[in-house]
Amino acid sequence: MSAPAKNPEVVIDGFSPRRARWVQLATSADHKDLGRILITGALGFLFLAAVELLLMRLQLAVPENTFMPPVTFNRVLSLYGATAIFLFAIPLALGFFYYVAPLQIGARGTALPRLGQLGTWLFVGGATVLYTTFLFTPPEAGVNPLPPLSGLAFIENNGVDAWLAATGLATLGFVLIAVDLVATMRRLRAPGMAWRRLPVFSWAAAISSWLTIAVGSVMLAAITMLLIDRNFEGIFFAGDAGGSPLLWQHLSWIFYTGAYMLVLVFALGAIAEIVPALARKPLFNRGAVIGSLVAIAVLGTLAWMQNMYTAPIGLGWMYFAMIMSLALIVPFGLVFFNLIATLAGGTVRMRAPLLFAAGAVVAIVIGLVAELSHSMVAAGWRLQHTTDSTAATHFALVGGAVFGGFAALHWWFPKMTGRTMGETLARFSFWTMVAGTLVTFVPLFLAGTEKDQVVDAYKFFAGNGLDAYNLIATIGAFVLFAGIVMTLVNAILSREGGAPAGHDAWGGDSLEWFALSPPEPHNFDVPPDVRSARPMRDIRAAIARRSARGERSAREHQPVA
Amino acid sequence: MAPHSPAIDQIDTLLWIGFVAGAILAIAVIGGLLYALGRYRAERGAEPRQVTGGRRIQLRVGGALGIFAAILLVLSIVYTDKAREAPLTGAAGLQASGSEPLTIETTGQQWLWRYEYPNEAFSYYKLVVPVDTEVRLKLVSTDVVHTWDVPDLAAKADAVPGKTNELVFRADEEGTYSGQAATLSGQAYAAMRTEVDVVSPAEYEAFIEGQKDEIQAAQDRVVKLIENGETP
Repeated sequence: MSAPAKNPEVVIDGFSPRRARWVQLATSADHKDLGRILITGALGFLFLAAVELLLMRLQLAVPENTFMPPVTFNRVLSLYGATAIFLFAIPLALGFFYYVAPLQIGARGTALPRLGQLGTWLFVGGATVLYTTFLFTPPEAGVNPLPPLSGLAFIENNGVDAWLAATGLATLGFVLIAVDLVATMRRLRAPGMAWRRLPVFSWAAAISSWLTIAVGSVMLAAITMLLIDRNFEGIFFAGDAGGSPLLWQHLSWIFYTGAYMLVLVFALGAIAEIVPALARKPLFNRGAVIGSLVAIAVLGTLAWMQNMYTAPIGLGWMYFAMIMSLALIVPFGLVFFNLIATLAGGTVRMRAPLLFAAGAVVAIVIGLVAELSHSMVAAGWRLQHTTDSTAATHFALVGGAVFGGFAALHWWFPKMTGRTMGETLARFSFWTMVAGTLVTFVPLFLAGTEKDQVVDAYKFFAGNGLDAYNLIATIGAFVLFAGIVMTLVNAILSREGGAPAGHDAWGGDSLEWFALSPPEPHNFDVPPDVRSARPMRDIRAAIARRSARGERSAREHQPVA
Repeated sequence: MAPHSPAIDQIDTLLWIGFVAGAILAIAVIGGLLYALGRYRAERGAEPRQVTGGRRIQLRVGGALGIFAAILLVLSIVYTDKAREAPLTGAAGLQASGSEPLTIETTGQQWLWRYEYPNEAFSYYKLVVPVDTEVRLKLVSTDVVHTWDVPDLAAKADAVPGKTNELVFRADEEGTYSGQAATLSGQAYAAMRTEVDVVSPAEYEAFIEGQKDEIQAAQDRVVKLIENGETP
């Protein structure tokens, strides 16, 4: 027995050393780690989708090109569709929701973290399945693999099964993440964070989560049925045996239309955070914007038959879809009106996020007004299945997921990394992307409306007046690709080398700016007390008051507005 | 070829309505956005007034947009009906008395269209119809989903296995119109084209007779080969 030490030391025993970064990331159930996995993965797949788009545009650069055999083109097309929708647009939106929304509502984590972890890794699993098809047979049934073409009788190889497994795993993952988000939004809001005070982006997260649960489940059912048809002699989609090929069209279009709306709700939600902060004004009318986002999710998804005007369905159903589509003019119009009214009278700082947000609004509007003609039944008969619909969809989704996604990336990058993305490269990237989007998709509008060029075809014939449109579109695809790569490079370089951003990078009103950059694992030392819809503004005012009174920093106390 | 069908004329009108309506909305939003971004730039030290809008302005804007949408809805229904009702047999048509339309069984198969006329004639790839006559295509498919699309004559419609779809049109000028299948149907999808020959009723009758003779002759040849013990 020795005498007790004069100055006792705390000895920690059996405490494992800090694990390697990748082990930590691979085992983490923290919504910020998982959000970063989703966002990083999605941006990687954006690059692959852009490469696939380039390959297809190369094949379509000149008439009757033989750069790719037909089956290769169909495989690249199928991979492109699955990558752009299931591996880029949806996970990017969910990744930002999953990272930011819990911070915005002042939560210290999510309610069901292991569910979100499982969801994220199911997405990674789905992506792995899709891209390991290069080792055997990639899918070749198109962006939306319609039975009977996707049935066993017409495509015997395993490509379609791989497509079903990949999108099925990813969709199941999205549903699980959405369940976690719904539970988090309901149970873990900070004291005083009533629904009426919830930031618009968190509302968008809640709306999108419910939407994902609804339409994701429908898609999972369809995927399961097609797997049964292909592998266990099912007849769900077999027209001659009592099933119906149209059933797949209904189920899959419910999902695809819902996903389209999810992307737009995500983009508009992010833009509704960026515009007020960079104009230094509150959103013109929060209630109208939030209500409109709800209406967009509901009405938009109900318009799924807008994609089926040429199918043998009753005219009454077409009118139903048209009513839902045309009704969307009101909520979309109100969102845009409120964004512009927020800018009016403000002091606008034209930083990169606002630049991309403005580009997103312009592209989304062009895509939506083009889609307007598609939803007017007789006009839809003429326009659908032409490159006019390719262009309309791409304007809306490149606007929502790429421009809108990049706006969100520039906006929350300082929160995630503590550093700002380079402003100069952002501007170069933005204007290159604007030029690329216009030069790629405006000629496709014209080729579709003027010359009726059909979608998804591996070649077009000379002498139909299509040559110039397609060559210009191919050149545009290269420009768009360059613009996208610039922002991806910017993000990679800025992770380590960007200008330090500070915790309150932009002067936003929501609570993620109250956390450190990057946030601690538990998000907040002190759960903030919310007294208004602009809690961070209240906190800033309280800090200013207290420092004026010579008190200690408000960060050490319960911040009270 | 320029469009030569009354239904397509109605559809074209609706396309223009959609284009103008879309242009109005796009110019309003994009113009307003660019104006606001250019006009209200940051000034040093200036804090803008924290203005928010009330319910009344939202109701007004929403109401105006709602009326706009309702007008578009009515116009769409009117012109869709007109496009559907336009094909009635004209003066120079096959059945000027306005009896039953000429019904042609149209079968999509990988990667060819088959047209079956009344009175047992059929043709592949090329459809021959009389001018100024109401033609009804009954679309079916023997394998996967195909979309029949001859843009200068008619709307598009899908041929789905197990279902029958219908497409009605009337060509009001003689000539050759080309079209292309418009739903991905496998490897040779892009080469799945079709042609519509619009001819005078007399030429149409002659074509049907000629086709019947040819089919008969071909069948006779096959029968002869089999009788001679050769496999065709």
